[in-house]
This record gives sequence, C-alpha cells and structure tokens, in this order.
Amino acid sequence: MASLIGSYSLFFGLGCSLLVVFFSLKDLKNLNNLDNKILSLTFLQFLLVVLSFFGLIISFVNSDFSNLTVFNHSHTTKPLFYKISGTWGNHEGSLLLWLLVLTLFIFLFLIRSKKEPKKYRILTILFQQIIIIGFFIFLIKTSNPFDYIYPVPKEGLGLNPILQDPALAFHPPILYLGYVGTSIIFSSVLAASVSNYITKEWAKHIKQWVIISWIFLSLGILLGSIWAYYELGWGGFWFWDPVENISLMPWLALTTLLHCILVLEKKSILTSWVIILSIATFTLSMSGTFLVRSGILNSVHTFANDPERGLFILIFLFTLIFLSLFVFFFFHKTDKKNTTSFFLLSKETSILVNNWFMMYFLAVVLIGTIYPIFLDVISSQKISVGPPFYHKLIIPFLIPFLLMMAIGPKLNWIKSELQNKFYLASFFVISLFLSFMIIRMLEISILINTVLFASAFYLFFITLRDFFIKGFKNLAQNIAHFGFSLLILSILFNNFLSTEIITNLKVGETYQSNKLTINFEKIEKKKMQNFEAIIGKFNIKNESDYIEILKPELRIYNQPNIVTSEADIKTNLFSDKFMTMNLVQNQEYFNIRYQKKPFMIWIWFSVLIISFGGLFSLLKKRYES
Amino acid sequence: MDYLVYLKKDMRVKILLPIFVIFFLVIFLIFYKGLNHTNIYTPKIISNENIPLFKTIEFQSDNEITSKEVFSGNDYYLLNIWASWCIPCRDEHNFLMKLKKNEKIEIIGLNYKDKEKNAKKFLNELGDPYKKILSDSDGTISIEWGAYGVPESFLIHKNKVIKKIIGPLNDSSFKEIERLVK
Amino acid sequence: MYGRKVKLRFFFILLILITLSLSVFLILKSLEENVIYFQSPSEIKVLAEVKKNKIRVGGMVKNNSISVQSEELKFVITDFKNEIMVSYSGVVPNLFAEGKGVVAEGYLKDKNFFLATKILAKHDENYMPPEVKTAIEGK
Repeated sequence: MASLIGSYSLFFGLGCSLLVVFFSLKDLKNLNNLDNKILSLTFLQFLLVVLSFFGLIISFVNSDFSNLTVFNHSHTTKPLFYKISGTWGNHEGSLLLWLLVLTLFIFLFLIRSKKEPKKYRILTILFQQIIIIGFFIFLIKTSNPFDYIYPVPKEGLGLNPILQDPALAFHPPILYLGYVGTSIIFSSVLAASVSNYITKEWAKHIKQWVIISWIFLSLGILLGSIWAYYELGWGGFWFWDPVENISLMPWLALTTLLHCILVLEKKSILTSWVIILSIATFTLSMSGTFLVRSGILNSVHTFANDPERGLFILIFLFTLIFLSLFVFFFFHKTDKKNTTSFFLLSKETSILVNNWFMMYFLAVVLIGTIYPIFLDVISSQKISVGPPFYHKLIIPFLIPFLLMMAIGPKLNWIKSELQNKFYLASFFVISLFLSFMIIRMLEISILINTVLFASAFYLFFITLRDFFIKGFKNLAQNIAHFGFSLLILSILFNNFLSTEIITNLKVGETYQSNKLTINFEKIEKKKMQNFEAIIGKFNIKNESDYIEILKPELRIYNQPNIVTSEADIKTNLFSDKFMTMNLVQNQEYFNIRYQKKPFMIWIWFSVLIISFGGLFSLLKKRYES
Repeated sequence: MDYLVYLKKDMRVKILLPIFVIFFLVIFLIFYKGLNHTNIYTPKIISNENIPLFKTIEFQSDNEITSKEVFSGNDYYLLNIWASWCIPCRDEHNFLMKLKKNEKIEIIGLNYKDKEKNAKKFLNELGDPYKKILSDSDGTISIEWGAYGVPESFLIHKNKVIKKIIGPLNDSSFKEIERLVK
Repeated sequence: MYGRKVKLRFFFILLILITLSLSVFLILKSLEENVIYFQSPSEIKVLAEVKKNKIRVGGMVKNNSISVQSEELKFVITDFKNEIMVSYSGVVPNLFAEGKGVVAEGYLKDKNFFLATKILAKHDENYMPPEVKTAIEGK
C-alpha cells in the first residue's frame, strides 16, 4: 500500500515539474510578480516527493518484501534504526533522497529569494527543473524504488553489514545536502548569466547557499572519514581512495568558489571565474554520483553496480555540461569596467593566489582519480595511484598555501600596504623555531617537514592572536582558518607519532615487544538480534605497567552471511588506542592490529571547527539583518 | 573600443568553445567506454573452461598445427607435459605406456623446453606413448595452460579440462583416469 | 605603446600558462613514479625481468592454501592458470577467504614469490575488482 502511494506520488511529482516548466515559460515575459501557481506547484512537488520517500520508509519498516528494493536490502531481524537508514543505504533509495533534497532546496530558494529580480528567479526554477526532471526520469526508468516482486518472498536479502553503522546512516543524507546544494548554485549561476545579473547583489544572495552546501559537504566528508576509521580497521582516516577523492573534489571547488564569492561581494570582478567554479562544483558532484553509481571506478569502496544506470547519468551529466557551456559562451558578457584594477598587495590578490593553489590541488586529485580509468580504456592496462602520488604533489604546496591563509586576511580589500606588521615576521620566527625543536625531538630530519610544521604553526598563532585582538571582526573566517591550521597540525602529529603492532595470536598467547606486551586473554560469544559477536579480551601493558583492556569484536551477521570486525577504540584527548581483530579462515590464529594514534580526535574536531566557521558566518548574517 | 570587446568575445567563442567542447566530448567517450568494463561478479565454474587455443609445431613432421586440429575426432585426450631432462617423467612413462593400450583415449605430448635430439633419444629408450607430440620450446604454451612445471597432465573431454594432474602420474591417478574414461 | 591594462592582462595570461605547464609537468612526473601496476599471476610468469617497484597482484585465494604463523600469513593467489605464493604480515580484511577474490599490494621477490605489504579490503562480497575479473577471465 505504502509502495503504491509512493509510486504514484513519483509520477505526480514528475507531472508537477512539467506544469512548473509550462507556467514558468508562460510567466517569463510577464513583468509583474512571480506567478503564485509556480510557488504552490513547487511546494506540492516537494510534498509529493516527501510522501513517496515516506512510502519507501514505511515499506522498509514494515518489511514489505513485495517491494523489490526492500527485498534486496532489508531483513526482518534488522534493528528498526537500520531498517530506516536502509532506505537510503541503497541505490534506489539514495536517488529518491537526492530528489527529495532537490525539490526541498528549490522550494526554499523560492521563498528566500523574494527580493531578487523576477526574470532571474524564473530562470533559476527552469534550470533547476531540468535537473529535477532528469532525476525523476532516471529514478522511474532505471531505478524505481517501488518495483514489485511476485510471488512475495518471505524474507529479504539483508543490508550489507558494513553499512549497518550509525555514522553511515547519516553520512549519505548529509553529503547529499551538500551535493544538491551545489545544484542550486549551478542553476542560479546559469540564470544569473542569462539575465546578466552576476553582480555584488547576486553574490550576497547566493553566498548563503554556497556556505550551506559547503558546511554539509564538509560534515559529510567528515562522517565518511570517521566511518572508514573505525569500520574498515585500517586505522587511517584518509586513503586517497577514488571514492573518497570524489567527495573531496567538489569540496575543493566549492571552497574556492566561497572565497571568490567573498571577492565578488565587494567588487565586481572575477565574474567569469565565479561562473566556471559554480559549474565545476556541480559537475564534480554529479560526476561523483556517476562514477560511484556506475561502478566504473576501481575502488575498494565500490559496491556491485549496474552499468546501465551509469549510461543514463553519463548522458545527463554531459547534457548539463554542454548546456552550461552554451550559456557561458553565448550569454555571459564580460564586464568592461573595472576589470583589471588589481594590486599586488590586496586581499583579493591573495585570495586569487590561494584559488590558484586550490585549483592545483583539485587538478592533482582529479588526475590521480581518473587517470586509471583513462589508461584502462585506452590501453587496457590496470593501474592504481597510491597515496605517495598525492602526498608528493600536495604537501610542498601546502606551505605557501598556509602562509597565504595567514597573511591574506591581514590585507585590505583593493589595495593595502604591509606596515606595522612587525608581529607577522616575529610570529614566523617563533613558529620556525618551535617546529625546529619539534622536528629535533621527533628525530625526523627533513627540511620540508620543518617548514611545513612552521607554516601550520604560523597560521595557528596568527589566527589565535586574532581571536583576542580582533574579536568579532572577521570571526567566521578566523574560526575556519584556525580550524584548518589545527587540522594540518593534528594530521602531521598523527602521522609522525603513530605506532602500530600487527601480529597473529592464538587465545592465551602473549605478544612481547620492548615497549609493551599484548596478552590475548579470552574470547566470548554473544548472540545479538541480527548478528553473533565474538569479543576478544586483550590486556595491553605498557612500560609503566599500566594495563589497558581492549575488546575488539568480530560480528558474524546472519543475513547476508558476512563477517565484519569492529575496532575497539579508547579515545582520550591526546591519543586513540585502536585495536582490531580478524579471524583468518579455518585457523586458530587471530590477526591482531594494535595502534596508538595521537591526536586522532583533534582531526575530527578541527573539521568541526572549520564547518562551524561557516555556520557562524550564516548566523551572523541572520543576526545583522 | 566596442569593436575590441566584440573581437574579444568572438575569440572566446571561436577558440575556447571548440576546445572545451572537444575536451568534454573526449571525456564523455572515455567514460562511455569505461562503462563497458563492468564490475559485476558472476561466479562461474572455471574448471570447466574451454581449453586454451594455441598454434605450434608438431614434433615429428615439423608442420604447424593448431590446438583445434589436435583435439578433434576423439572423445578423451590426455595432454602430458614432459621433457627429456625431467627425472620424474621417466617414472610416469610406464603409466603412459599402459594408458596407450586404452583405445578410448589419445595421449598428446607437449615437449617442454627440450632439445629435439634428446627428446627422440628419450622416446627410443622408453617407448613412445604419444599419438602426437607438440613442441613448446619456450614454455609459453605451458603457461597458457597454467602448468606448474613438468611433468603435468590434463585430462580433456569435449574441449574441457576435466582433471588436472600435477606431478608424475602414479597408481591412483592412473586408476582415476581409467575410471573417468569410459 | 600598450596600455597598463593590456600589459597586466598579458602578464596575467603568461603567469597562468607558466603555472599551468609547471603543474602539468609535476603531476605527470609524479604519476610516472607512483603508479602501481596490476598484474595477474600469469602476467608475472611471462615477465622478462622482476622489477623492484610496487605492484598489485590479484586473483583468487587458492583453496586450502592459507597458513598462519605468529608473524606471517601465507597463501596462494591463483588465476586458475598460474599461481603465486604470497607472504604477508599485516591485517587481513574480513572478506579475505579461500576461494574469494583478493588484491595484494607489495613487491615481487621472484616470479613465484610475492611479499605483500597490504591486502585490500572490499565492502561487498559480490564485488570483484575489475582487475581481478579480467585477470581470471583472461583478456
């Protein structure tokens, strides 16, 4: 029943789209206010998609196996929470979620853009509806979440246990909010180009959308990273895996865009650049969906997929790209006035320089991610690109990037001079000295590390100083930059100070090294609702005879029959102790990994600070107006 | 001034647009082709796979011969990889001679990295069980077959490998072959 | 003569071109050094020489081939034509099992022996890395 309602809602929702397009086109020539019908229809469309989404959730909760999606991804013994989160944990459901967010955002956009020119609003609706219609057709044609199965099976196939995890329940919706937010920016920038409205006012208005998507994207990536950290049991948070890179690329583009919008807000320059970035951000988000959904990517995160769907997204994606190329080249007019009044020392120049670095990082990630696909297609040679590639290319350029982040905000808009900036230099000397000491202490003697530490510390101190001296002025920016310096510092410390022990133990055995002993005391078995747990008990004794007990787990899920391992992590402010246990097939030995990861929690925390910077700037704007 | 602006615009459309369009078309094509490399894993029974195709020189006649010509006409074949320098091959040779008497099966020899002279001497000394002897002077055919070394034997029925015997034949594997070939 | 505007624009374009070519050069050079090739056991058998760089080997874990000691885990990767012995000390993913697909990253000691530094995890039991799939099916 719920499936039936959901299914019909989808068709009616598509109908709404067509009506909206019809009325918008009709309304285009009308100079008066926006036709109210458009607003109501958009709202109706949103409601219909909500209805359909709830229909799917209810089918999942009721374990209605006459629905193919539910049958494929659910099971009666699954806890309620994962029945619900399973709704968007699969291809069909996640696309429905995309659609839900798309329709929600266009509705919110309409409400929040009442002061903007009418032509621009209508055009935005039209462009957004193109995307929405595309997704409707995609959903209904190739991946309808309400497909029937007959005869009705008694039991479902179950959700991949690795996805039965709280972090992963929230990761997709939040990431999608970010992705889909970029679609509004995309439609809006195309509409603004056509109606020749890329101005300071437009920048002010679109900035909030940029920031909102940016916050969600940052948080989405964070959640994915946390999940990988404790679920995959590799003890790392970023592996430069193609699927991870794919979420990073829109983030880089969006961050760049955010800074450009700040410039545009003050000064009518960089308009072409803003348009290109907006298009790029959305395109990268869409390609992300394409690459992940089509299974074209060769990644450890990939799930088995249907290439037929990939073809649809591919064609759709390139239609949008060519549409935006057309708009950009034939409608956008380069402004003739005040284009080139750049001065070397000014905020916008420093932003531009950092933009350039960001584009470089983006290019590195992009090439590293898709080069294997290209090579495979061209020469059918299978390769992968490992982390050293990214580290080598990105780390050296982080140094000037960090320095620019510290100094740039100190400059004025338009034109500035560096006077009385004695403290800028003195802070740098202090940071250099400090990092030199740290490098000595850690016994790593590479020049580049010293400079990298120094520049991160520099940004850290400069932003810290500004909290006290400048107070509320530029606070949002300062928070975000501070968070970034903290992130880099935590990652550096984490990298250099992590230790790890990998060994195979039988129950009762003890591993001994000069620093610590690991005693494998026993295993316990526990029966849970949808899995059976084997819990190991390990006593870890360090040099000062302090004993810590870690209890990593193996979970044997019944449906589908898969073993996962749950790391046991003891977190405190300064370090994480991380332990995983794997059972090697048909052997008495357990495969043990014990890691000490300093400042792990600070990595998560600093990303939260960065996102909070964005949130703060939104709140401030609310407060001011 | 207006003319300049016009020119600039014109240049953008004339030069940049084609570059972009071509660039994206190329990417589109590559992704499109990439789509055909699917990742869906459909399990299949590998041991029933067709035997590899190859082309080589027949030992006695020095004529070129293809795998199709070799494995046609009979129901059962035993492909035996051997070499004159291989000591265990001498041990299994008795079994091969015994198997020669079974008329349902043809024994095909694959002479692995061997000198013709030595190989002929070996056969003169111990007898020739082979219907045909194929030459694998560089060892590539054996790799195609997935051989571990010499000796090794593959029991073939209707173009499929139904049994693989690693190492020399012995009593039990000989009996199994006799049992399988009915 | 040229105005300030024209000069600035020229300078700007020059700067873009220089940084662009520089970064392209860097990326390509780094790609060359850090690419990890994927090879199947059969491809390894026909290698002309055993190189020292990192590679990935993929195929199926052979049945009854896993053996564990306290410091080391040994198994055989097969593509049903040829095999290679793998020695590994490290964490194995949960979906690592006999008769299942596997991708190991590491260094070749010789054509029959591979020293793995990492065994790649997978999320989905039905998913098989395309490299493994083509390795097993043959090209």
